[in-house]
Amino acid sequence: MPPPVSAPAEPPPLPPDVETLETLSPLAWAGRGARHAISVPGVVLFAGYIGLGGLLHGVGFPFFAGMLSTLLIWALPAQVILAGGIGAGTALPALALAIGLSSLRLLPMTVAIAPFLRGHRRNFWAELLCSHYVAMTFWVEGLRLLPKIPGEGRVAFALGLGNALLAISLAGTAAGFFLAGELPPILAAGLLFLTPVSFSLMMIRNAGHDLMDWLALAAGLLSVPFVVGLSGGADLMISGIGGGTVAYLIGRFLRRRA
Amino acid sequence: MSTLSGEAAAILVVILVGFLPTEVWRALAIVAGRKVEAGSELFRWVKAVATALLAAVVGRLIFTPAGALAEMPLSLRLASVAVGVAVFFACRRSILLGALAGEAMLLGGAWWFLG
Repeated sequence: MPPPVSAPAEPPPLPPDVETLETLSPLAWAGRGARHAISVPGVVLFAGYIGLGGLLHGVGFPFFAGMLSTLLIWALPAQVILAGGIGAGTALPALALAIGLSSLRLLPMTVAIAPFLRGHRRNFWAELLCSHYVAMTFWVEGLRLLPKIPGEGRVAFALGLGNALLAISLAGTAAGFFLAGELPPILAAGLLFLTPVSFSLMMIRNAGHDLMDWLALAAGLLSVPFVVGLSGGADLMISGIGGGTVAYLIGRFLRRRA
Repeated sequence: MSTLSGEAAAILVVILVGFLPTEVWRALAIVAGRKVEAGSELFRWVKAVATALLAAVVGRLIFTPAGALAEMPLSLRLASVAVGVAVFFACRRSILLGALAGEAMLLGGAWWFLG
């Protein structure tokens, strides 16, 4: 719909997902967080975990332990490595190392979102609890939504969002266990493609007006073909720490010059 | 699964091999990142590294996917992402329409390639 030609006297209305009420109870904030999980990213997460459930079923992993992996690990790439390693009979210490290296990204991701998980009063244990929900979807959606939430609502909002995303993922894991082997290959490929295509779009949306975000996004994505042969997590180190640092330095140089 | 004798062993594997190596980074971030304030130079660097890392994980899912998606040619996967991004910008930055368009391109291409 085009904007009206004559500018109204009052300030323009806020976008629909900006939370403006500051006097909500923690439960109401949690409800608002949970409501944001019913979204395209939530559907993508559900689809991704259907794929994981099928993978776990395929390597003969027990159902309850598979559900527990979603609840406790809560990081799809790490869970895929776990399922793949068990299927291939990888030694467990080597598997733990591979999962640890692949999950290193959670450290900078958590540091970057932690300032938005703090209320007016710092609460270490609340921050620690919220940090468990940090994963791709929570991070991207949290960085977009949490800065608009007033300080006292942030922990409840984050827990509502995180737990709702987790519940969706548990449902997906269970569905994947039962659907395993039933999906035609083309549909299975479509499910697997949903995560990269939608996360590309979500990260482009989040980059907004900050040139550094665009540079970091491009450096991470475009470096992949050049480091793909490297093993032991070195590829992610070069793409992430190398690419991110270059993006930061270029961004800072351009900001200072402007 | 020869190393796992049952549900209890699998649960132990989830906790020791999966949960601990993952959760340690989140906990470490809360402990080590307590002084990092939003908007500071250190924060900006950490955020750039996190963004690049996540982009690399997404990039790997496109360039070197697993399972059925690996059967699709790389050119089709890249073209599908490109179509998704183009529709995203054309349709008022809609994640839903962009993702659907990318999926349609992939599934249409798969149908054409694999019959």
